[in-house]
Amino acid sequence: MKNILIVEDSATMRSLLTSTLKDLDVPVKLSEARSGFEALRFLPREDYDLVVTDINMPDINGLELVSFMKGSAKYRSIPLIIVSTEGSERDRDKGLGLGADAYVVKPFEPEALREVARNLLAGAGTRE
Amino acid sequence: MRAVGSDGSEAVPTGDQEWERIARSGANQQSEESEPELIREFLSFGLAGATYAIPVERVREIIRLREVTPMPRVPACITGVVALRGDVVQVVDMRIRLNLEMGAPTRRSRIIVLHGDDDRVTGIAVDSVQEVLRVNEEEIDTVPTQSSSVVSELCKRGDEFVSIVDLDYMLALDEP
Amino acid sequence: MAAKKRSGNPSRRSKADREFIAEAEEILERMREDLATLSEQLDAGQEVEPAFVNAIFRSAHSLKGLAGLFGLDGIGDLAHHLEDILDGMRLGRMSMENSSVALLDQAVELFTLLLQRVGDASFEEEGQQLIVDMVAKIDGAVSNSTESVDELEGLNLDPSILRALTEYEEHRLCENIRRGRHLVLVGSTFEIMAFEDGLSELSRAAREVGEIVSTLPSPGEAPESQIRFSLLVASDVSVVDLAERLDSPNTEVSLVLAASNGKPDASQDEATATPTDVESVTAAEPTQEPNAEPVPDAMAARSADIETLKSISDTVRVDIRKLDELMNLVGELVIQRSAISRIAERLAGDSATARVATELGKVHKALDRKLKELQGSVLDVRMVPLRQIFEKLNRVGRRLTRDLNKNVNLEFTGVDTELDKLIVEQLVDPLMHLVRNSFDHAIESSEERIAAGKSPDGNVRIDALQRGNHVVIQVTDDGRGMDPAEIRAKSEALGLIDPDTILTDKECLALVFAAGFSTRNEVSGTSGRGVGMDVVRNNLSDLGGIVDISSEVGEGTTLTMTLPITLAIIQALVVCVGDQRFAIPLNSVFETLLIETSEIQRSEGREILNVRGEALILRRLSDEFDIEPEDDERQYVVVLGLGELRLGLLVDRFEGQQDTVIKSIQGPAANVRGIAGATELGDRGAVLVIDVSSIVEDAFRRRDAA
Repeated sequence: MKNILIVEDSATMRSLLTSTLKDLDVPVKLSEARSGFEALRFLPREDYDLVVTDINMPDINGLELVSFMKGSAKYRSIPLIIVSTEGSERDRDKGLGLGADAYVVKPFEPEALREVARNLLAGAGTRE
Repeated sequence: MRAVGSDGSEAVPTGDQEWERIARSGANQQSEESEPELIREFLSFGLAGATYAIPVERVREIIRLREVTPMPRVPACITGVVALRGDVVQVVDMRIRLNLEMGAPTRRSRIIVLHGDDDRVTGIAVDSVQEVLRVNEEEIDTVPTQSSSVVSELCKRGDEFVSIVDLDYMLALDEP
Repeated sequence: MAAKKRSGNPSRRSKADREFIAEAEEILERMREDLATLSEQLDAGQEVEPAFVNAIFRSAHSLKGLAGLFGLDGIGDLAHHLEDILDGMRLGRMSMENSSVALLDQAVELFTLLLQRVGDASFEEEGQQLIVDMVAKIDGAVSNSTESVDELEGLNLDPSILRALTEYEEHRLCENIRRGRHLVLVGSTFEIMAFEDGLSELSRAAREVGEIVSTLPSPGEAPESQIRFSLLVASDVSVVDLAERLDSPNTEVSLVLAASNGKPDASQDEATATPTDVESVTAAEPTQEPNAEPVPDAMAARSADIETLKSISDTVRVDIRKLDELMNLVGELVIQRSAISRIAERLAGDSATARVATELGKVHKALDRKLKELQGSVLDVRMVPLRQIFEKLNRVGRRLTRDLNKNVNLEFTGVDTELDKLIVEQLVDPLMHLVRNSFDHAIESSEERIAAGKSPDGNVRIDALQRGNHVVIQVTDDGRGMDPAEIRAKSEALGLIDPDTILTDKECLALVFAAGFSTRNEVSGTSGRGVGMDVVRNNLSDLGGIVDISSEVGEGTTLTMTLPITLAIIQALVVCVGDQRFAIPLNSVFETLLIETSEIQRSEGREILNVRGEALILRRLSDEFDIEPEDDERQYVVVLGLGELRLGLLVDRFEGQQDTVIKSIQGPAANVRGIAGATELGDRGAVLVIDVSSIVEDAFRRRDAA
């Protein structure tokens, strides 16, 4: 059972992400955090195999979450996908610069996201 | 302006006429020398021999008693509804609500139509409607809490006590 | 522009075009107003309010969406570019100058012109060229923008602070620096398993003194058990004061950047902050050069032709509340007319007044005719075709097809069927939910369908037709259908019914409408969570409608919704029990019967009546509302219909039929089960209107519980 954490403040977007990611070839358990803040509360409580996070969120944004996770010995090995908006290339670049493993642009192709997720879950492409 | 009824008796003014008269009486009252913010205005009415009052800005109009259509499944103090120029409004019998002795309606009995919150309109049936009182904040005493919470404040007028009704508390009836 | 065949002659435009133009004009009017305000602010040297830029951005966005809907690609394209420039402005990537406002003005004028010429084939090429020119100008303006990151780089801030800032946060940072505020870093370490309270407290304290630009988490010194938060705060308060207010044994405050203009911060206090802020703002603002380019010749020639906006469209948008008032007035007139008729009857009975009665009767007839016409016209204004919802459902369907990777054909019939506007607006949500349900749950994947011998593509059809006083809307799919046994099992498992309750197949299917049936555990992004069929049924019942369900396993499911055409004026049957009168909406009355009391039979503790071989459950209205009935050998039965259910309501007398307007009851205990509202019956005061669905539901619940 793969444990995936979705971090996204828009309910509609969250729905879309969960419905896309529940159909991977492996059994998955999806957890939803509504902000970077909530994500920080989830992280120490369970072992996650993948984190998918939006960038633009109030209080703690996605970039700050990436910075925290990749700067922490405990969480840096968890694969991290950032979801950016079309037109915010700079945010996306920053995210990758901070160590995110992959990015997806909204509006995203469900199958593209699944591909990336499958790859990262299989262990390929995780930066060390 | 008083009209003469068909039986020769003086018809009691109602509606706009009445409200005008009462409002004018209030305006003529002497006001003590104090700042306007400390003056509160009330409409006083009679109920089972005593005098009560409610904030004047909550009063929409005053109407004569009319046919009240009974309503099922409501608290006992609600006698029913009346039709009021397109609105259908519940009427609260104040004697029942305040646990006072029962009495028969007279020619002076009235229904005071109130503005509630969120635009809800309600009617309260009283024995008589008296005048607009302009009361200085200092003259108003809070009632000790053992007494009924429907009356939260008191003020003295001459040698009589006027009980000020807390409308929001009074109208907060438990839904059956 | 789109190559659809349209007429350029305003009177021959299609209704759809006219609707588009009406809405687009509204949006443009708003944009013009907002732009005017913006110019004023710029002219007065004030700070441009972000709210206005945002509002204009949203208007451009709406216009883009609207144009897309009606296939007007040229207008949509222009709107899209406008959206870009406005997005740049509201994110601070582009500065708001007079030149940009002039550009926006020109764009709005072009839109006006294009709107006028919608459907005019002769204008197409010219219009296209104008759009291309304008788009080029807009693109030019966008690329001229100054990146705010340049500003930041010149300031020598610690890169670790900037690394994790999003564009929006960078913009906020620059804004604050421009306004001459200090930047401090407020840091504190917390327990990783319980940091919420501490962080909230810290944030609250920081907000009291300034704006939190960003919150950066990092591992604490003991990463397993600690987490550290660094708040980047911009503030007007002097650094000394800040340190005093926020510093504590657990919290450190360090200065990142003193306020610009090189003021010595030790001597700065809040009183002097204001005048220097103003200086720094004007110093930082770019010089405003009038940059407006000359209007292209084609447009100059045309602007002479531009008619005033008001005359373009011939539809009027009306506030639904005004329509409600109109309906109320007509309703009152209807009631008064009934009163006149009764007066005429009374006069006719007395020989002294018989002649006057006849005249009055004639007047009454004429009044009646005119009133009916008036009623018809007002109702007509409120009526809108279902087409609008169906178009929206079409879009939802297309999106679902993409998201779910299922090919489903969505068809509509009866697109022009009309319903009261209020009802139509309320129908959108339930219908969308039903469509989503069909697509998501009912229609199988193409493999399953082929295996079952069906076409690979699923089919969902929505039919609308008018039946007398009602409109019937059916949603039919050819999916997997619903199995009564499965639904029953699920209901039992959920504790919604007792295992030994006997239910027909139809009753089993109806269980999907029970509250609590749809499980919240289903993760289905497209159907949404926890919005069950019970909500759909409640929505419909609020509108006075009902919903039925029928299904064949393997073949498909049909949901049938029956709605009254209008909410406003209804026909009611006035009945008496004891000394009280009640009104019963006629569209819920299946039939009426006159019976002898002796015909009433008792069975299993209930009173029933044998009607054409079937048992009709009875309910005495006197029992329902605790009223003393008249004692009589004969009684009247009003047979109420709610979907498939039938209930015989026992009353003492009928008083006739009446057109009434249902008013809601106002007062401290206005919500009473069984009462839908009240109406005025001429000179006879208020009469309560019965809520048929709750009376019927309660009676059947009582039967089941017995």
